Amino acid sequence: MTSLYKLVGGVSLLALLGGCASLSGDGGFGAVASVSEQRTGAPASVAGRLPRNEDDARALAAVIGKKLEQPLSADDAVQVALLNNRGLQATYWSLGVAEADLVQAGRVQNPVLDFKRSHGGGEVGIERTLTFNLVGLITAPMASRIEGRRFEQTKLLVSNEALKVAADTRRAWVDAVAAAQIADYAKQVEASAQASAELSERMRKAGNWSALDMAREQAYHAQTVADVTHTQKAAVAAREKLTRLLGLSGEQAAYRLPDHLPDLPAAPRELANVEQAAVDERLDIQAAKLDTEQTASTLGLTRTTRFINVLDLGAVRNTDGPTATRGYELTLEIPLFDWGSARVARAEATYMQSVNQLAQAAVQARSEARASYADYRASYDLARHYRDRVLPLRKQISEQTLLRYNGMLMSVFELLADAREQATAVSGYIGALRDYWIAQANLEAAQGGRLSTNKGVQP
Amino acid sequence: MTDRRSFLSGAALIGAGMVTKAAVASLPEAPVQSSPATQAPLSPPNGRPYNPVVTLNGWTLPWRMKDGVKEFHLVAEPVVREIAPGMTANLWGYNGQSPGPTIEVVEGDRVRIFVTNKLPEHTSVHWHGQRLPNGMDGVTGLTQPGIPPGKTFVYEFVAKHAGTFMYHPHADEMAQMAMGMMGFWVTHPRDPKQHAVDRDFVFLLNAYDIDPGSYTPKINTMTDFNLWTFNSRAFPGIDPMVVRKDDRVRIRVGNLTMTNHPVHLHGHTFEVTGTDGGWVRPAARWPEVTTDIAVGQMRAIEFIADEPGDWSFHCHKSHHTMNAMGHSVPTMIGVDHSGVAEKINNLVPGYMVMGDKGAAMDGMQMPLPENTLPMMTGDGPFGGLDMGGMFTVVKVREGLARNDYKDPGWYKHPPGSVAHEWTGELPPAPRAPGAPPAKASEAMDVKRDGDMHHHH
Repeated sequence: MTSLYKLVGGVSLLALLGGCASLSGDGGFGAVASVSEQRTGAPASVAGRLPRNEDDARALAAVIGKKLEQPLSADDAVQVALLNNRGLQATYWSLGVAEADLVQAGRVQNPVLDFKRSHGGGEVGIERTLTFNLVGLITAPMASRIEGRRFEQTKLLVSNEALKVAADTRRAWVDAVAAAQIADYAKQVEASAQASAELSERMRKAGNWSALDMAREQAYHAQTVADVTHTQKAAVAAREKLTRLLGLSGEQAAYRLPDHLPDLPAAPRELANVEQAAVDERLDIQAAKLDTEQTASTLGLTRTTRFINVLDLGAVRNTDGPTATRGYELTLEIPLFDWGSARVARAEATYMQSVNQLAQAAVQARSEARASYADYRASYDLARHYRDRVLPLRKQISEQTLLRYNGMLMSVFELLADAREQATAVSGYIGALRDYWIAQANLEAAQGGRLSTNKGVQP
Repeated sequence: MTDRRSFLSGAALIGAGMVTKAAVASLPEAPVQSSPATQAPLSPPNGRPYNPVVTLNGWTLPWRMKDGVKEFHLVAEPVVREIAPGMTANLWGYNGQSPGPTIEVVEGDRVRIFVTNKLPEHTSVHWHGQRLPNGMDGVTGLTQPGIPPGKTFVYEFVAKHAGTFMYHPHADEMAQMAMGMMGFWVTHPRDPKQHAVDRDFVFLLNAYDIDPGSYTPKINTMTDFNLWTFNSRAFPGIDPMVVRKDDRVRIRVGNLTMTNHPVHLHGHTFEVTGTDGGWVRPAARWPEVTTDIAVGQMRAIEFIADEPGDWSFHCHKSHHTMNAMGHSVPTMIGVDHSGVAEKINNLVPGYMVMGDKGAAMDGMQMPLPENTLPMMTGDGPFGGLDMGGMFTVVKVREGLARNDYKDPGWYKHPPGSVAHEWTGELPPAPRAPGAPPAKASEAMDVKRDGDMHHHH
């Protein structure tokens, strides 16, 4: 008896402790929001919590509306996406699910009270059984730890998702601005070709040019009109991709973007040890680590309980007629046919799977870090080459062409052809600049968030 | 750009390193001329007397007499020639100039010419038109080995026949002549009174293809040259030929370009009195105002300068009185630019409509590429001349001194002798019977308005 009461006493203590793991109220969002803000530079919510009601929705709309009053900068685009991307919002809520699991795991299964009343032959039999899941009591702390890790992992994965959305948004913003800029240049080229085509028509009218000469100039113009349509298509597609990431629709979808990409920074980032930083900082790596730790714990648990499937402890008080008998009841499954070895093997396999997945994630992260940094530096060099060599030379050519036009050494058509070539060089520069900013976003993503040394050079 | 120093240094080093001091000491002096201006005629200080010629924008090579032989020293070398103010060319020439100095000798003179090669490749001198021993003809490979860089060769012959000649390399001829290697040669008659004239001008016709903004001729150009020159000078860089009224004037012209040049004199008639072959008999002379000088030919023309004034003298191929121009530029005359010009200007700031009324550029002051002459240029007393290239002016004046070649300025026309605007009644234009009346505006459409450029 005494031992039973001790046991029951222990159980109540455990039950009490288990009850301590309670719901936080924000479903762990606060922690995620702070990681995400630290890594992206943009808060993940308006009021520090996820919007739940009309008031929250209005506050969110007000914040976004204010951002959209100006041409949307890359940082603002990231901010809007973190606040407003519905896929990301859905992911935030998965935190709540994970937290609920955690709390649930920390709670001991409710005791079961069996009450049986029987009567027959004038006798009333009352049978009361109070049963606890004893194994639940024994394993509760362990399960709680596991769920705790799972929750931590979920937080990391959700934060990582936020970083992904931020990086995608930054890339989409760069693409959209560049595409619009390229479309603009295509229009300029078309305008020069149109001037040329018009002039060629007048040359023909004045009797100075053959139908062949005129057709050549006009064919070029026709081609540039097609090019304008191509670039406009691309610009619309790029902008819509951004719009989706921003979660905007209706009037808000008419947001404005800057006319051109930000200038190339004076110098590229010098990053030492990009691989180490990636392994240390990337949230997906951290999540994979937690996963491995978790499976290790699970393995330990499985080993501990391999013989015990169900261990039920019951306090029994039987009232059978006038006499009441007290006692307890223990049910133990005898591992006659299942020694639990399959479960342990499964847990071990799962553990090894997790270990290798972590190793793979680390290899991938290191490679991505190297590749993205190399790409970043090469993209910088290329954009700088365009800015410092290609464009100045083009400008020089244009100036010299104009001088030759002045001296009647070249015709106005050559002047226009040169203007078109210059626009092509400018498009090349926009493309190179776009690639640079995208390479930087990729580098950040591969490094697990905003580069600490990158302040002030964000697009 | 290449400056004079760096352009010259490479070849000069080759020469300096290879000519031995002993060789130099025994050679006659090789005078150098750096000015592109016409130098005064060189009266012969010794030897047989003759009436010296005036080399347009050039000079005559002094000589030394040694044991009765006239010794000249030509140095073939890279030079920088001013084609006209505002433009210089990296050429090859002799004794500091391209063309080289004029060599003047007298019929019967024994002539010894030292030729030092300071070019980076071998050369030779062919004495074009001379009757001389075969081994002195200066044809590399055929009559002599080429003169290697840094070496000096000597030519010696008797100037047998009076006449008008030239000299030029016969070694890598295409490149060396395209680079300006040539010079004039006059063998005067033994009797100075024979064929005597008051003023005797000489020059060569030459052509270069120098891209605007560059300095060295494109030697592979065959016909599409952009600089047509008298003695490697283009108008307005060519000096006027100043003559005294009633002077008998001779102009001797040699053609070392790749095409013929019909040279044309205004206000006078002349006769062709000499060719490479010698003097034309008086009975065979035709009166001319234009004579065609074929490639490789020499012509001497003579006229009495009896009409005072400033008279044009030029090649009659009108592209040859132009400087660098775009030969593939389409004609813009009559093309309406309204609307289009603004569009073009948006793309090309600084663009101005040109050529829609013609090609005249008078009064236009627009920036050009470096080292380029305006396509047509030159100012006269009445405005722009719209001329370039092979053009100059024969200035006939009364009362000049015999040896006065100074530019007397523009001619002062006697009152009432200059074409002027008619301000009186216009007689009605004769019309065919029944023809519809002419539209007054038609004539206006093609009339130039004097201001050829439009700022849009």
